Amino acid sequence: MLSLKNVVGGYSNTPIIKGIDLAIEKGEFFALLGPNGSGKTTLFKLITGQLPLQKGEVSLSGQSLPSFTKLEKAKKIAVLSQEAHVSFDYTVEEIISLGRYPHQKGFLKKLSKEDWNVIENVMEITKTKQFQKTQFRMISGGEKQRVLLAKALAQEPEMLLLDEPTNHLDIKHTFQMIDLLKKWQQTKGLTIFAILHDLNVASLYADRVGLLHHGKFLEVGDINTLRKEDQLEKVYEVQVKTQSHPTIPKPQLLMTPNYVQTNEWRNFSESFSIEQNEKYIHLQFNQPLRTISNGVIGEGIQWIQHFCNFHVEKHYHCSEPDKDIRNWMEEYNIPHHQAVGMMTAVKLEDMVVCTKRMEDISIMAVVTAGIGNAVDISSKEEARQDVKIGTINTMVFIDAHFSDGALVNGIMSATEGKVKALQDLQIKDPLSNTLASGTSTDSLLLAVTQQGESTPYAGSGTLVGKGIGEVVYEATAKAVKKYWKRVKVNDIS
Amino acid sequence: MQNSSTRKFSSKKFVWLYVLCGGFVLGTALLGLLVSSVSVPIPTIFHIIFENTINMGWLEDIPPNVESIIWNIRIPRVLLAFFVGASLALAGAAFQGLLRNPLADPYTIGVSSGAALGAVIVLFFQINIAVLGGYTLPIIAIIGGFVALLVVFGLVRLSSRSLAIETIILAGIIVSAFIGSIISLIIALGDRDSMVQIIYWLYGSVRMRGWSHVQLIIPFMVTGTFILLMHFRELNALALGEEAAEHIGVNVNRGKVWILIGASLLTGSAVAVSGSIGFVGLVIPHLVRLVTGPNHRHVLPLSMLTGGAFLILADLVARTIIAPKELPIGVITALIGAPVFAILLIRERIGKGAK
Repeated sequence: MLSLKNVVGGYSNTPIIKGIDLAIEKGEFFALLGPNGSGKTTLFKLITGQLPLQKGEVSLSGQSLPSFTKLEKAKKIAVLSQEAHVSFDYTVEEIISLGRYPHQKGFLKKLSKEDWNVIENVMEITKTKQFQKTQFRMISGGEKQRVLLAKALAQEPEMLLLDEPTNHLDIKHTFQMIDLLKKWQQTKGLTIFAILHDLNVASLYADRVGLLHHGKFLEVGDINTLRKEDQLEKVYEVQVKTQSHPTIPKPQLLMTPNYVQTNEWRNFSESFSIEQNEKYIHLQFNQPLRTISNGVIGEGIQWIQHFCNFHVEKHYHCSEPDKDIRNWMEEYNIPHHQAVGMMTAVKLEDMVVCTKRMEDISIMAVVTAGIGNAVDISSKEEARQDVKIGTINTMVFIDAHFSDGALVNGIMSATEGKVKALQDLQIKDPLSNTLASGTSTDSLLLAVTQQGESTPYAGSGTLVGKGIGEVVYEATAKAVKKYWKRVKVNDIS
Repeated sequence: MQNSSTRKFSSKKFVWLYVLCGGFVLGTALLGLLVSSVSVPIPTIFHIIFENTINMGWLEDIPPNVESIIWNIRIPRVLLAFFVGASLALAGAAFQGLLRNPLADPYTIGVSSGAALGAVIVLFFQINIAVLGGYTLPIIAIIGGFVALLVVFGLVRLSSRSLAIETIILAGIIVSAFIGSIISLIIALGDRDSMVQIIYWLYGSVRMRGWSHVQLIIPFMVTGTFILLMHFRELNALALGEEAAEHIGVNVNRGKVWILIGASLLTGSAVAVSGSIGFVGLVIPHLVRLVTGPNHRHVLPLSMLTGGAFLILADLVARTIIAPKELPIGVITALIGAPVFAILLIRERIGKGAK
């Protein structure tokens, strides 16, 4: 639809845009990205014709764009920019009806019935109808931008050029606005060319992106272009981490600030407190730890400061255990958004804490174990639905710096340590009567202080991985023995 | 549909507004013809008008001196007041729309001064360019106004990139002051008689002008009005800013040039026939906008009607308030216009503050 061939241009003699080739298909949402000063706005103005081309060619549907008259161009291309200043007290409806300018005919230039139909329609879609008679300057910034969008859509363009249309909008209005655009793109085949500041918004909505750097495209491609951290760091000079959006398969970028965290950790052994009573175990650190877990709450990889293990009745049954845990935490003044919560029927006083120090890495494991539900994961028995709470809950704290991969490695190492302990203690799956590999509801977390050099591995081939395995093995074995002791005492009494 | 009904309602409202303004014009015109030292009954006035226009009189025995007073003195005076007022108000509305600036008018942005300088030069040096004939005065005045406008815009361009409201007004004041001093210089160089004559002319008046001046203003006024009314949509679009106006298909540069030409024609010819009369172009469009909203489709014609009627009224006051002597009409418009404008300014401020 829109095609740029070797476009060169800018202000005065030194061109800001130094040779751009681009072809935008009909119905495509193209996002132009790049830092301030990279030439985004200049390129935009070269396309709209506000700046003259010094070299090259811009054409729309095969016809050179400068050869269009202003009216012809306005019938095909509408522009929405970031400014929203309108002089005098025009009403919203009057502003939107200006979008019909290129379509008006006749000597008196009155708005025809068809014009009004279009205006009504775009007001409906942009949800601006309710304030159509209101003065433009009286409505909020987000509403103003919607009105200007309505005006642009009233032009019935084939292509929409957007210059940071959501620049000073909050996220609600930003998403409303671009959702609306996306809908028009998908339903009416509108072609969209947008300068976007927010890379994450671009990733969520654009079909393709172009990364502009010093007046040239560094890369033009689909949104996975945004996964190239090196490239983005070069262009934006900011440390960038690419992650996937948790629910849709698109990249999202996380920026790391340059300033240094001032409150340093001191000694690992002094950086936390443990509170243990009948109802719960609560470890609180003075800093958040990078944590991977399968706790009832706080699962996945997060930064966590509070680690909790709650005691529940043996026959505890609840369809929403996470809600219960949050309620309990609230009761005990533990902030549940920064906490991992586990639950167990084991007596909490049987908690085992093991520590180990190897070179300059400290490891600590906190384990509660009950093996009433011991399971051999390889047995042919079906998974048990009527889960009783007899479980091994393991928390491992490490004073080291792990990458995300190392966290997963660490989980493997800890699991291997646990399994080995159960095997050495000859614990059996009561159904299959084979050696058990765990219980049916084991929880595990690995929390790392992220101090020192970053390690990419924490498997059994590494010092720290081995250490994790050893500590977990030792703590699990001790905890199981404590459990046996208590069961025996109970049997006798 | 509720909407089409409200739209019908609003278009009905505008019909009534036009009727009202038209009535206001006719009423003030009649008043202007009626009120004077020599009182002539209304039927006689109508008779004289019809007799002289479509040759359909019905009364006998009208003394020729009465006929002469009405036809040769009062009617041209009222018409001239109407044309001047309409021209200035329309030019003011156009300047305000073009510059997106409610403070703009032929007076504040220096066009009136430029036109006045042109006119003073013609009057003082008795210039008569043969090709232009009797139209030397208005044409030189229009050119003077246009040149002043270009100087003001040049100053604004040099001092700031945007057409900021304050900058335009400041540049207008600077240029006006400079031109004023040149006019003073010319007056100072002249003799006492021409000094009085020019000073009185500068205050603005539609007195003792006769049909010749009406003929002088009509072609320019018709052309200027036509040009401006043709560009009401462009004026509306310019409210979005020049770039945004381009994007909806407006040829901004061409539109701007036409609007400036139209407004200069109106201002220059008005100044040429009546001297510089302030505040009409500033206040009238403001008042009209309060009632109609800013849409230039209605602001332009209604400003014309209201401005014309207002000037007829101002002239009436000017010649009756200290009769038999006359005040310059510019004094009246300033006396009424300045306080009204001050009130409008304060109102606007309060309105914006309350937002």
